[in-house]
Amino acid sequence: MLRKGLYALAGLLILVGLWGFFGRLTTGHEQVGYGSYVVWGLWVAQYVFFVGLAGGLFFFATLDYLFGLRLFVGLGRVALFAALVSLGTGLFFIWVDLGHPLRIWKVYFNPNFQSVMTQIVWGYTAFGALTLAALALSAGRGAARRGLNLLLVGGVVLALFLSGGVGALFGVVGSRPFWHVGLLPVQFPVFSVASGAAALLVIVSLFTDRHDALRSSRLWALALLTIGLQLAKLYFLWADFSQSVYGGTPQNIDAVNAVLYGQYWWSFWLLQLLAGSLIPIAILALPRMARNGTAAGLAGMLTLVGFAVARVNIILPALAVPEIEALARAYVEPRLQFSYFPSAMEWAVSAGIIGLAGLVFLVGLDRLPLLVTGKEGGPKTWKTAN
Amino acid sequence: MEEKNASRRRFILGGGAAGLLAGLAGATATGTSAAPPAKPADAPELPKVVERESQLLRMQRELQRALAKPVNERRWAMVIDLRKCVGCSACTVACKSENRLPPGVVYRPVLEEELGKYPNVTRRFTPRPCMQCDNPPCVPVCPVGATFKRADGIVEVNYEQCIGCRYCITACPYGARTFDFGELYTANTPAVQSYELAPSFEYGKQWPRQNDTSPIGNVRKCQFCLHRIAEGMLPACVSTCIGNATYFGDLGDTTALVSSLVGQSNQMRLKEDLGTSPRVFYLL
Repeated sequence: MLRKGLYALAGLLILVGLWGFFGRLTTGHEQVGYGSYVVWGLWVAQYVFFVGLAGGLFFFATLDYLFGLRLFVGLGRVALFAALVSLGTGLFFIWVDLGHPLRIWKVYFNPNFQSVMTQIVWGYTAFGALTLAALALSAGRGAARRGLNLLLVGGVVLALFLSGGVGALFGVVGSRPFWHVGLLPVQFPVFSVASGAAALLVIVSLFTDRHDALRSSRLWALALLTIGLQLAKLYFLWADFSQSVYGGTPQNIDAVNAVLYGQYWWSFWLLQLLAGSLIPIAILALPRMARNGTAAGLAGMLTLVGFAVARVNIILPALAVPEIEALARAYVEPRLQFSYFPSAMEWAVSAGIIGLAGLVFLVGLDRLPLLVTGKEGGPKTWKTAN
Repeated sequence: MEEKNASRRRFILGGGAAGLLAGLAGATATGTSAAPPAKPADAPELPKVVERESQLLRMQRELQRALAKPVNERRWAMVIDLRKCVGCSACTVACKSENRLPPGVVYRPVLEEELGKYPNVTRRFTPRPCMQCDNPPCVPVCPVGATFKRADGIVEVNYEQCIGCRYCITACPYGARTFDFGELYTANTPAVQSYELAPSFEYGKQWPRQNDTSPIGNVRKCQFCLHRIAEGMLPACVSTCIGNATYFGDLGDTTALVSSLVGQSNQMRLKEDLGTSPRVFYLL
């Protein structure tokens, strides 16, 4: 039932996505909602979210293979696979966002390594190859296992460094005071691990063997981790906003006001804070709920949605504040405005990419021995595990 | 009576012909159509007309002089006298036309601000081209090196190299870069007008508007009309400024008009504190 439902959902999202891709391929950027001032939108936010998630999932794979933590043993392979899918999803998002997607090869063959973007593209390419190799080696023993450990050591350092790098992608932009804070490269790796914990919560609750003796303890451990990281994220949010407001820099105050009281105030208060942080914390703080697969999975999913919205609320406010105040009224055209809401095509393409990622993940679960079970014989496919 | 009228006609015709001949002779001799009337003896002395070279002609001559120098010795700069700008936006429109700019792309908007409180109110107009910064924040962030600082100081975008990631737009503190979404003003009208499809001549090449080829999908910006400069012409915004408020020239030439203006104490640059060292100066 769950399998069929998830496949149907992925199929539906892909269908919606096909309509979006048709629009993207036939009309280029004509149907997007962003403009020349708010120049990045939903797709860039999703890119940031998914590559961060990939890093976090990789981190949890190391808890299994490198550190052998009892509660995470057996979760390494599915975490690696999910990291790979998540990374591909993020890169797909940024690829469709490019003005000339077919020129992506130039980042490899004519790179400017001074650019943080180039460093990240190269880094994530290496990270993807490394994750794929680690996944292949995870089935082996002996020399393969030693190779895996080496890859994981390199990979986890790279994953956390790249997460910080995505923060630096924004942080180095001195012309946007809201981004130009040292806090961004620091908080992005925390976000990365936090989203990894939430995703693993969803994976354990939905896909692992319900009869596994460790399942309840795994859920509780992940719930506590998610709560801790959620609180850390809330602290970062407070630090970021309070510094901006107390500092008194007009551009910063405008950006914070845009998040708290602007056109999309509801996305911050209702989606990011209430549904994405407070409700999951409340659910996961109750041991009975946290140990219940359905409730924990729901809390994990809400946490992920909240983090995705948080990415939007980092990217957009800085762009929605004019670099020079009078610019907003200087030459008025639909593409020269400081407001943004994703167009139907952007939503549809996003749905399609997420649906495709979901389909790849489900097929992987069904075909590859990725899941831990209480039964003998190591990881199994989703079909045989339950 | 009839005889008297005929004689008057002969006199008028004869006198007119003589006058015409005299006038033609005079024009041939002096090169003017009429001699100035004699000044009455009691009229006050009028000030003499000061003969002054056209500002545009001077800048154009200086530009051609700069073109004779090696490119790395030219230091193109723009000076905008805010006291003379009347906010007509002729420069914006000329730029749009010269560079064939589509919707969503603008190189030189004019910022309009109301200052003060009634009754002490005024308006300030600030044209904002690309600042062609000597330390441009847009250059290092480009992942493929598509945007770079030329030897003559102009920041160029290589349209064939740009991947359209728009990172440079976020990095520009002046909002001087915009993205070409591939739109047309006359799309969804009975007929797309041919002038919208005509190629732009930026960077000395022809860029027709065809499906998904550059400059569609690229980041675009003011380049001081490099293609006009190469032909010895001033940027379109300079030529069309009705108040002569925009000056252009080579800062490497100490005798150039822009050099003398930049040396004035009332000049300033936008957001100098960011360390961008703009090549666009404003006179207050």
